[in-house]
Amino acid sequence: MLYKVMSKGDYKAFVKSLISNYEFIGPKRKDKAVHDFVSIKDISELDTNYTKTTIPPAKKLLFPPTEKLITYEIDNAIKVKPIVESKEIVLFGINAWDINGMNFLDWFFTTDFVDDNYMAKRKKLIVIGMDTDPTETNFALSMGSEYAKDGFDLYLTELKDKYFIRIGTTRGNELLNKYIKVSDAEAEDFKKYDKYMDDYRKKFKLDVAIKSFYDNFEIIYNDEKFWKKVARDCYSCGSCNLVCPTCFCFNVRDDMEINLRDGSKIREWDSCMVPDYGLVAGGHNFRPNKENRLKQRYRCKLKTFVDKFGTYACVGCGRCIETCLAKISIAEDINSVKKEVSV
Amino acid sequence: MVLKTQDEENKSTLYVPDVARITRIEKLSSTEKVFKIVFDDEEKRNNFSFKPGQFVELTVFGLGEAPFSIVSNPSNRDFFKLCVRDAGNVSGALHRMEEGSKVGIRGPFGNGYFPYQKMKNHNVLLIAGGLGIAPLMSLIKYILHYREEYKRILIIYGAVNPKSILFKYEIQYWNNRGDISICMSVDNPDDKWTGEIGACTKLIPRVNFPAEDTYAVVCGPPIMYKYVIKELEEKKFLPEQIFLSLERRMECGVGKCNHCHIGDKVVCVDGPVFSLWEIENLKEAI
Repeated sequence: MLYKVMSKGDYKAFVKSLISNYEFIGPKRKDKAVHDFVSIKDISELDTNYTKTTIPPAKKLLFPPTEKLITYEIDNAIKVKPIVESKEIVLFGINAWDINGMNFLDWFFTTDFVDDNYMAKRKKLIVIGMDTDPTETNFALSMGSEYAKDGFDLYLTELKDKYFIRIGTTRGNELLNKYIKVSDAEAEDFKKYDKYMDDYRKKFKLDVAIKSFYDNFEIIYNDEKFWKKVARDCYSCGSCNLVCPTCFCFNVRDDMEINLRDGSKIREWDSCMVPDYGLVAGGHNFRPNKENRLKQRYRCKLKTFVDKFGTYACVGCGRCIETCLAKISIAEDINSVKKEVSV
Repeated sequence: MVLKTQDEENKSTLYVPDVARITRIEKLSSTEKVFKIVFDDEEKRNNFSFKPGQFVELTVFGLGEAPFSIVSNPSNRDFFKLCVRDAGNVSGALHRMEEGSKVGIRGPFGNGYFPYQKMKNHNVLLIAGGLGIAPLMSLIKYILHYREEYKRILIIYGAVNPKSILFKYEIQYWNNRGDISICMSVDNPDDKWTGEIGACTKLIPRVNFPAEDTYAVVCGPPIMYKYVIKELEEKKFLPEQIFLSLERRMECGVGKCNHCHIGDKVVCVDGPVFSLWEIENLKEAI
């Protein structure tokens, strides 16, 4: 990590250079409450003071909702052509927990088997992070993801009179030096940054008992009454999966053109909450009811990857809580598990 | 690290099937057929090898993809065979195909963890229910290929009725060999049936292999495992000596789509074969 500072006046010039030289994706106000990460053509459209975004920005770019994996042509012979698309994009203004969500996906898509479709895009994604205020459903502090240690090229922190910049990659360093003048961060700057982070962490109000979840979950696992209560209102709609920055389940379907000659395989997001998630040919369903599926989702988010990678598959962004039609809250349920087990 | 050229860089390998041809179709019963498959590409044909217990993902172009276990002998290197039940979209379409049709193949996938090495110099007890015989076929053929390295071999095979018994030719051949025992049981016998009647689990108590010198391999419908395990444990089999092949919705085969995960295991990568020891405490595995 390299630490630099940049004057406030240079910030605009830097962003303007990025917008004019790169495909630039940043937060833009959509309506009163929600921002969306879209292509930005002019700095006036950019609004980094956002709190709420619906679809996680990095996942949208790296692992799009639908993506063509291969095309084929059925003739006398069948010709199969793989498709790996990628282009250089600057993703500007993504916050720490969404970066951590992306880091999880990086890890997941490169473990055991490398997913080229994901990695080609990831390699060309220039990530510039910035802090944003948490929403009231955000529990990133409890999950340890209010701060991003890596995964970004540059991370800008706005102090009173200057920007404190953490440089994560050579690419980020070159980008900075190409467009503006920066100076080394001094002891004084670090002090201000430390104070800033202390204040920033105080903004996270929602606390979850995640530390004891790993063990407590085992004893609550067979408590049917508990899970019936938790999943009672679930519609099995899968909204929680669609807004999650770490959800990665997908289906691959074959699509044929009307000429019945050209076809393709398309990957699309799937949801572990929908009833046919565990259905196999012949009609047996390995996850037949909603209690079972919700329990499974919690296990996947909060336990499975602690065993596998040593990290949670939940960054505590709180999007699923906000989006759930039945008001099911993962934060509340983590705390209920604790309450149920503790004496 | 291997440096890749720009051209290679843009080549994805995980989800791209290789084109292959169905060269022979054998009908086993009213719902099951065996497909003999040969890769079009010579290099792929020469490089393809698999271990007992592994499976491939088969694409019917224009329709979709599904996992099928390989039933041929791993020593046959220029072709492989799949046993397919007409049960879903892809398998249904496959059943309507003719010899010479083209399909796509990815794989082989799975750990192929049938402990055919550990089993050497031990007795082997194979228990199959219904279509569960299919994933065991490559293992049986492998063991018979190296017959002298194993002690006694017993196959317990249960089917719904005599008509639904699969691999009748192979079974007859095994019977003729004399160095492998096979014990069959059906739920609904017809007039000609002279074998056992009822669930195949009932035959386990009569097995006289000493447990400490035997490996058991089980494959069948999900409901069967609980009962078989109970019987085997009564016979003093240790969980490390019992191996199971699990069925799940394995869509990608490479542990990415996540449909087949159970706890911290992904069946398509960590399985589909597990020792009972591995999954005993894994909730919802059995």
